[in-house]
Amino acid sequence: MNPILRVQNVSKRFGGVEALKDVSLEVKRGSVTGLIGPNGSGKSTLFNVITGFYKPDFGSVYFEGKRIDGLNPDEIYNMGIARTFQTPRLFGPLTTLENMMLSPKGQRGESLLRAPLRKTWLNEEMQIANEVKSLLKEFDMDGLYKMLASDLSGGHVKMVETSKGILGRAKLILLDEPTAGVHYAVGKNLFEHINYLRKAYNLTFFIIEHRIDLLFDYVDYVYVLHMGRLLSEGTPEEVASDPKVIEAYIGGA
Amino acid sequence: MFDISSFLISWLPLFGIYAILSLCLNMEVGYAGMANFGLVAFYGIGAFVAGYTSITIFLTFHGYNYPIYSQEAIIAMGKVAGKTPWLNISVFILSLILSFLIAGLAGYLVSYPTLRVGPAFLGITILSFGEMLRVFMKHFAPTGGAYGMLGIPHPFAWIPDSAIKNISFLILTLAILILVLIYFELLANSPYGRVLKSIREDEIASLCIGKPVPQIKARLLFVASGISGVAGALYAFYLGAVTPDMFITAVTFEVWSMVILGGRGNNFGALLGASFFSLLNRATSILNFLFSDLPIDPNYVRWMITGALIVIILMYKPKGVIAEKPIKTEAWKIFGAYGESRRKLIAAILKIIDYLRRAFYWLIGRETGYEPDIKGSKRE
Repeated sequence: MNPILRVQNVSKRFGGVEALKDVSLEVKRGSVTGLIGPNGSGKSTLFNVITGFYKPDFGSVYFEGKRIDGLNPDEIYNMGIARTFQTPRLFGPLTTLENMMLSPKGQRGESLLRAPLRKTWLNEEMQIANEVKSLLKEFDMDGLYKMLASDLSGGHVKMVETSKGILGRAKLILLDEPTAGVHYAVGKNLFEHINYLRKAYNLTFFIIEHRIDLLFDYVDYVYVLHMGRLLSEGTPEEVASDPKVIEAYIGGA
Repeated sequence: MFDISSFLISWLPLFGIYAILSLCLNMEVGYAGMANFGLVAFYGIGAFVAGYTSITIFLTFHGYNYPIYSQEAIIAMGKVAGKTPWLNISVFILSLILSFLIAGLAGYLVSYPTLRVGPAFLGITILSFGEMLRVFMKHFAPTGGAYGMLGIPHPFAWIPDSAIKNISFLILTLAILILVLIYFELLANSPYGRVLKSIREDEIASLCIGKPVPQIKARLLFVASGISGVAGALYAFYLGAVTPDMFITAVTFEVWSMVILGGRGNNFGALLGASFFSLLNRATSILNFLFSDLPIDPNYVRWMITGALIVIILMYKPKGVIAEKPIKTEAWKIFGAYGESRRKLIAAILKIIDYLRRAFYWLIGRETGYEPDIKGSKRE
């Protein structure tokens, strides 16, 4: 099966720091792929390169066979890659409903010219609202629609963030430490949720995670980054028994 | 001491112009989070464009060949301004359109290079642009340099009665204000308004959900600067004169204080702020006029009051007098929350009426009829 995302020989340098050195990897369609590595190993930089926040110095990124490095973040989202951040970035003073309704791409009412003409976007707006409603119901969050996003609990914030990807019709969702700062049980719940979404909505997930114990129960394939280089790859069992990985995590250089 | 109607005639056009400005600023700052510290630049561009176009067209039409800032031109304008009603009106409309386009274009061009680097840069760039423009205009001979342009033809100069003339202008200004308000309310309560708020809260996150942030900002700046330009044109026609020194940076900050007082992200808050500060402006001028022997000029007191008010507002009501509300699109209907506040209000009023009714019956010593309450049972 052809990969949905292909990163080819990507290098990225910040002054004297080589954040990524010749990294190549592939994410298979419909999989949950993990990306692990110690702090400062370049995981978030790789995500930023994929989503268009950084332009790679060398190498290229392909999404569904199309080259996407060099595009702007909004263009990349519109192609079908959604992402979350390490610290959740919902729009605090906006309600959950507003937050979720922002996600669908290419809304008609978002253009300056059409916005004052209610009739041109009303149908679309109602459709989106209905979809949000059924999503919230599906995830047992129906009561939360008028809560401000800043008042949501940590677990709910993560759920809303992943749900936003579905509303945006994303095909690939990049999650940057989805379980950071939540309780183990909530984290487990979240991974169950991700697993469910993958099947129900035919999504692909690419996940950075520090909680390896949690991650390894749910992923199909794992990449390990260390000092900007790809150190190891394979199924969770293969990676867990790789001596290089153990050394990188426990100590050594 | 003074009559209300002439006070209203002097206050309302000023209110209208400032209200348009504060609505524009509210759109930029309150909704999209763009720190526009150079609003006055676009306001001034609008005023100068309107003055220049109208005087030039009038002089050319009537066959005069003076430079527009010369004394002869001013005298000639005084002679011909009231002769051709159709020319007055059409020149007025043309000037408004040109002011909109030129001020809008200036806003777009000035802001475009800075939009990708964060709000502070945008603010500083526009702030210095406005100040540079003012100094430039002071030394720019074709528009009269520091003396500016006098004798801008009033759109209703052909009406002999000055009261009717002023009232017509007032109505026109308020009509434009209402149009702008309706337009901005429609913009704000739409998916577009939602996108603007998301940009204000977190630009990066907004980019990440596919919103082309720099483009959205630049387009909004075009529209808002253009409408500020229209306000400037109205001001030029209202005063009949423009000079560069009318457009000092303090004007920008006066509009900022209107928005801060009224409430950011709320068009009606901006209106409230504009009415309050323009009233304060008028009131201090009148005080100055009525009591000429005050130890301190009330015009300076105005700035002190403005400063003190901003501090007080930011301390006790940081969101402004009228706080921001979630945007209203029909989406709320699906969740059953649309019009909830109205229902609550009606229920409260009905309850009060019910209490009043009971109190009335109690006073005249009769039973309420359908309520077998404790009072009734005791009476047995």
